[in-house]
Amino acid sequence: MRCPIETQATSEVLLAYCARRLDPGTAAVLEAHLTSCPACREFARGQRTVWEALDAWEAMPVPPGFDRSLYRRIEEEARVPWWQRAWRPVGPALVHRGLPVAAAACLLVVAGALLETPRRAAPPESTAVRVESVQPDQVERTLEDMELLANFNQEVRTQAPPSNSM
Amino acid sequence: MEQRVKASVGGAAAALDCDAELMLRVKDGDSPSFALLLEKHRSPVMHFLCRMVQDYAVSEELAQEVFLRVYRSRQSYEPTARFTTWLFRIATHLALNWLRDGKHERGQERLDDTSGTLPGRQVCDWRPSIEQRLVYEARLEEVRQAVAGLPAKQRAAVLMHKYEEMEYTQIARVLGCSESAVKSLLFRAYETLRARLAHMA
Repeated sequence: MRCPIETQATSEVLLAYCARRLDPGTAAVLEAHLTSCPACREFARGQRTVWEALDAWEAMPVPPGFDRSLYRRIEEEARVPWWQRAWRPVGPALVHRGLPVAAAACLLVVAGALLETPRRAAPPESTAVRVESVQPDQVERTLEDMELLANFNQEVRTQAPPSNSM
Repeated sequence: MEQRVKASVGGAAAALDCDAELMLRVKDGDSPSFALLLEKHRSPVMHFLCRMVQDYAVSEELAQEVFLRVYRSRQSYEPTARFTTWLFRIATHLALNWLRDGKHERGQERLDDTSGTLPGRQVCDWRPSIEQRLVYEARLEEVRQAVAGLPAKQRAAVLMHKYEEMEYTQIARVLGCSESAVKSLLFRAYETLRARLAHMA
């Protein structure tokens, strides 16, 4: 027998052995292998411990009024209108899955509105805004330039030779 | 009726599933057949859910919901698999949803309650002395904690394999995964339990 520990595919043989679900023939072969394989022996010993521990976990009995309570629920359900019964299986799914869909739809609408905003024609800037944008030093420089130009014109006129009259 | 089961299921094992036959009778409006199914399966379902969610009151509620769903689905029932596969699929689905929603955190207090106040606990008949009872309770608590520490799907696989004695194929159909995935789940789960319960040897 190939060692079940070494071959992952046959590790289920060990589990089946520990669960006492292995057929007697295979169990005998495995038991012979266990005598010569410390790894498998250790594995089987550990699993037997688990199995015995789980065996100790006894289930609690069904409560006495279980059937009565169930039949009462069935009767109550029979009195529910058909449209409420039809809604029951899809309702929670719609609530759970509908909310993300609604949120995604809202996001799309908001994103669309934001993308659309820059495409609108910008309103014309008012005159007041343009005047406010002119800085005082600019005005001063312009006045200086104008004064300089006026002085230059005056000098040109005074230095110019008088025109010859026939 | 039997012909319908054989024709619908195809497989020999499923064809012999008398539970599916009973369920088809329920589909035809036969209420006593539902009572028979309830009588036969209420304990395994309740035990499975009790170990799965580790809360007695919740497991009762979930078990009732399982049978309520079975009854609700009677008109659309088709015996495409063994009845117990379908039944445990519903039970597992409900338990996994309950665990996923984190509802178990609210019930932790009741889970930790080992005072034996729950109705009809079978440990009462076992104890010959107070010391032995305390040792037993301590061991049981360790087992419960070790199982509760497993991932939900591994836990379900172990409980079905160990206590319901289901085959790999049936567990695979209940959990909706492949047979090899179930083997892998079980192997990992039992290895984890072995590590956690090694001191009990």
